[in-house]
Amino acid sequence: MAGHSPSEGWIGASLLRKEDARHLLGHGMFIADVRMPGMQDVAFVRSQMAHAAVRQVNKPEGQAANVFTLADLGALNILEAGPELAAHRHSPYPALADDRVRYAGQPVAACLAPTRAQAEDLADQVQVELDELPAVVDCVEAMKPGSPRLFDAWSDNAYITSTVSEGDAVFIAGAPIRLRRQFRMNRQATVPLECRGCLAYWDHRNDELVVHLSTQGGHVIRLGLSQALGLPENKLRIIAPDVGGGFGGKNRLMPEDIAVAAIALKVGHPVRWIEDRREHLLASIHCRDHFYDLTISADRDGTLLGVEGDVYIDAGAYSLWPTGSFMEASMASRNLTGPYRIRHLNLKTYTVATNKAPMGPYRGVARPGACFAIERLVDEVARELGREPFDLRRQNIVTSGELPYQTAAGMRLDTGDYIVSLDTAREMIGMEAIRERQQKGEPDGRAIGLGFAFYTEQSGHGQIEWVKRKSRVVPGYESANVRMLPDGSVMLHVGVQNHGQGHETTLSQIAAHELGLDPSRIQVRYGDTATAPFGFGTFGSRSIVFAGGATARTCRILAEKIQRIGAHLLQTEVANTRIEGGAVHGPHGSVDFSEIAYAANVRQEHLPAGMDPLLDATATYEPSETSGVFAYGTHAVVVAVEPDTGVIEILDYAVSEDCGTMINPLIVDGQVQGGIAQGIGTALYEEIPYDEQGQPLATTFGDYMVPCAPEIPTVRVAHLVTPALVTEYGVKGLGEGGAIAPPAALANAVADAFRHIGASFNETPLTPRRVSDAVERARRDFDPLNMGRRR
Amino acid sequence: MKPAPFEYVRPKTVAEASVTLGRRGVNTAAIAGGQSLMPMLALRVALPDLVVDISRLEDLKIVTRTPDSVWLGALTTHAAIEDGETPDVFNGLMRAIAGQISYRAVRNHGTIGGSVALADPAADWPVFLSTFGATLRIVGRNGVRVQSIDDFIQGPYETTLTTGDIIMGFDIPAPPRSFRWGFSKVARKSGAFAHSLAVVVAAGKGGPVKAVLGAAGPKPRMLIATAAQLEIPDSSEEEVRAAIKADLNAYFGDLDDYQKRMHTANVLHAARKMRAQ
Amino acid sequence: MTTVTIDLNGVKIAADVEPRQSLADFLRDACGLTATHLGCEHGACGACTVVVDGKATRSCLSLAVMCDGRAVQTLEGLRSDAMMELLRRHFHESHALQCGFCTPGMLIMARDILRRHSRPDAAIVRHELSGQICRCTGYANIVKAIVAAGQEIANVATSEE
Repeated sequence: MAGHSPSEGWIGASLLRKEDARHLLGHGMFIADVRMPGMQDVAFVRSQMAHAAVRQVNKPEGQAANVFTLADLGALNILEAGPELAAHRHSPYPALADDRVRYAGQPVAACLAPTRAQAEDLADQVQVELDELPAVVDCVEAMKPGSPRLFDAWSDNAYITSTVSEGDAVFIAGAPIRLRRQFRMNRQATVPLECRGCLAYWDHRNDELVVHLSTQGGHVIRLGLSQALGLPENKLRIIAPDVGGGFGGKNRLMPEDIAVAAIALKVGHPVRWIEDRREHLLASIHCRDHFYDLTISADRDGTLLGVEGDVYIDAGAYSLWPTGSFMEASMASRNLTGPYRIRHLNLKTYTVATNKAPMGPYRGVARPGACFAIERLVDEVARELGREPFDLRRQNIVTSGELPYQTAAGMRLDTGDYIVSLDTAREMIGMEAIRERQQKGEPDGRAIGLGFAFYTEQSGHGQIEWVKRKSRVVPGYESANVRMLPDGSVMLHVGVQNHGQGHETTLSQIAAHELGLDPSRIQVRYGDTATAPFGFGTFGSRSIVFAGGATARTCRILAEKIQRIGAHLLQTEVANTRIEGGAVHGPHGSVDFSEIAYAANVRQEHLPAGMDPLLDATATYEPSETSGVFAYGTHAVVVAVEPDTGVIEILDYAVSEDCGTMINPLIVDGQVQGGIAQGIGTALYEEIPYDEQGQPLATTFGDYMVPCAPEIPTVRVAHLVTPALVTEYGVKGLGEGGAIAPPAALANAVADAFRHIGASFNETPLTPRRVSDAVERARRDFDPLNMGRRR
Repeated sequence: MKPAPFEYVRPKTVAEASVTLGRRGVNTAAIAGGQSLMPMLALRVALPDLVVDISRLEDLKIVTRTPDSVWLGALTTHAAIEDGETPDVFNGLMRAIAGQISYRAVRNHGTIGGSVALADPAADWPVFLSTFGATLRIVGRNGVRVQSIDDFIQGPYETTLTTGDIIMGFDIPAPPRSFRWGFSKVARKSGAFAHSLAVVVAAGKGGPVKAVLGAAGPKPRMLIATAAQLEIPDSSEEEVRAAIKADLNAYFGDLDDYQKRMHTANVLHAARKMRAQ
Repeated sequence: MTTVTIDLNGVKIAADVEPRQSLADFLRDACGLTATHLGCEHGACGACTVVVDGKATRSCLSLAVMCDGRAVQTLEGLRSDAMMELLRRHFHESHALQCGFCTPGMLIMARDILRRHSRPDAAIVRHELSGQICRCTGYANIVKAIVAAGQEIANVATSEE
């Protein structure tokens, strides 16, 4: 851990990461690395059709015992998923298909064999007889009367619809500027480099089912899995090994995991399933897939007044436990005012069931779509008025004097200075120089464009917010347990689930800060329900706020007791002592933690009278106000676009962001850059199209484009620091922000490159074909008298 | 994604390999670099009973140079070409093409013979070989035959190879020293299969021009009008563009508007590069 | 089953392999060397990259049986390799890993790049990392680490002249 001196303090230190050691040597232990004697592998037989009645599953001769259908799994409970709203419809999702399959790739049977290759051989011999039903593949068409329905008990294909109505619809109907646009953010997958996987076996000594699971939150999964299996939670242990990325894709109860657990309960040996990449693209969580039909209203002076319209979420065939996917529609609609003073909001949302893989959360969750829509609309209004899009943003954005600001959609923007962020990004990207460059034209004939997008990222939202969302499970707190062992070394157990975020480092920095110790003396543990205090896992940019806070709280409890013991051993008053450098210091000497801990654990006669032994504290934590804290930032990007091929090159990318106090700036930068890479993926590369029969058209990396180093520039990041007021140290979560703004910024940049012909780019990914076609359309429709505005 | 079971054999000579590949009643597949076959095996879209390993047949690794031509054995890897281990009589064109095929680790094993035998319409080497009028030497049950690349590739993944045939290598006529080239590729990301692949070469200033377009149709095609236009000194970009459009209409019937735009721009880009050399 | 003899990380081993077994699965399952990871099994992500006869190789695109008589090095076997030690330090200092899943393949490829290029700049490194997928870092720090490692190697070499 080079380059840091303890006197500088641990909060804000760019401490090099502890978790690097094992990964650099290849000693990480991921789910596929976990081996149990007698382990056998599962391969799933999956539906070839998007929508069908299952007539029969024919098992090959002599292998019936190794092929499991739903009936062979034993009694299982189907969990109701989604918000606890009467209006939210139940989409029963069995672990293996019952009499109906509803997406191509839905697991129908599980084949068990000594190796995965043999399990696949067996799966090839299983015949599934399906009677095809018409497939529902368009979420707007799916809501029309007469559309085939996924669930016979439903009157239409909506999981739930909702309306958001704020302000005065009549007033904005009369606004001088009203622009209607449609935006589409196409379906993609989460694509962590490590696919999902689970390994289950009955542990006879502990009389429990052990499930090793590549997950973002074992405790919540345990809750769900126990309900599904009908197994009490105290007989179910979930162990997360090293997890190779999640991004939301490993945070729901999934049918394969239930099936594997159920099989493990039936056979006498460990059962494993390692998802392969084709399965992942086919049947793991899909995401994004939003369609917006919106009208923005504004005054002639550029004041943005209101947003109205429809929000469609193509949510796939089933709700995933616990959350379902209404969150997409609700978060999208609540973010459609962006950071602007837009007071009128009139939206109808439709969360629609289609014959596609179930939708789940993915870094940013709904906000990339909402940001795309509102930021594109701002640029469209700017173009309509002949104004610089940057200036229109600056004019309408909430100022620091107005914070905290309650948006029309009920989000309480807390602290920050959005204008400074905008101005900093503008300076970093060199807007004036870009405008000059654009005047000159490029020798290679490419068009240069500059785009901005602003985002806010809600994090640290707790009880108030989740209750508002009618969550089935309210992740409103986190827990930590810290204990000092007899030799003075420290164990910190937390309920979040590090999977790349560097918690072993950042949480030990916080513990070190509170305990006056070096982070190297603190072991951070997580991921095993047997030892981790109850927590909700890592998602939604929550960990530093919640687990950081819980760590701080428990360590303070411990520090206080350490100090009292130390004072007692030093025969002085507590007020005369301080904690520093792993010791309690008094006026006439000091006593090392090791001595204090030894006393507390194994020599209790040395403790103050009446004090309980042990140095072991467990506490929960939630912020003092739980409506959330908001990281925010401005993305600015310069592109060069070849108009005929439609190929986009990113020339420069700058971000001015504010996530409050940074515990570890090195890790913050890593999250920003990593989030942006995924945002660029959404903006330019990643998509799973479906044909009319509901067949997905990208099921390997041959068709599903994941950007690599040549495609992703190094982003220049400037940090502002406006601490939050309601969290420990003033931290805000930031893990998702990088992924929220790139589609908007890039689409705005490409639109800027072709603003002289009024081309619009309102669909992601901005593939070369889409870009070129949009340019061509605009060239054809261009009316010079209308100065680039659309007809 | 694990392959279905198959048998494996590693014949010691080309003749033995040919006989083994040609065995009746057995579904055979030759494996050289394996970079294309392995994914197909993993996805179970290739289901051979017997995989015949030809990767160590020395006779397929011969590389020689004559004053007029270069002979590249079928097992020459893309990386060997990229690294300049093969005679570079093409003023760097072969190296440039090789260096952006797929990814380095794949180039270390992928072979020019494997690429041509598969005849993916988006493959790089067929376009290059077609530009120079290269011929293949093929050994099979009926002896040895020599065939032009244009006759060899019949359509997407379709060649004149029959069971038991093995490509020995490629005889590539060498261009004059003064030759200039332009090469341009449109792909969704670095290393991905081409959506458009254009090679434009000229033998010195004012000399004959050849332009070949790949990934636009079932096989690479020579763009006659484009080449003729580029032979005219000082012909304008508009004129070249028009010639490309004419060629596209003549030879590639199924292109939609976007593809026409893209191919036109890509061929023009290759032409510009050639002219700038 | 076929018997193969492989020089694995400097040790000659003999093993029976099924023809269809990939080198990746052989290393991971038969040899217990799990540093080599599988991210796609069709050669598109680079997580499985190892070294075969000195050449960077996607082990999911190789059959174990075809490695008979060859020398295979995995990340485990390169532990004491001087260039790998240097790369590990630079990856650590540049925060070039987050979840760690792509890291073994990245390190192997990074070493291959630096064995072929002296002092490569960021553009060359980016091009050479084509097809090596990382979902966490956004590549910037990986590129930075490799460029810095290349500088250090070249500086050491010049100072030794």
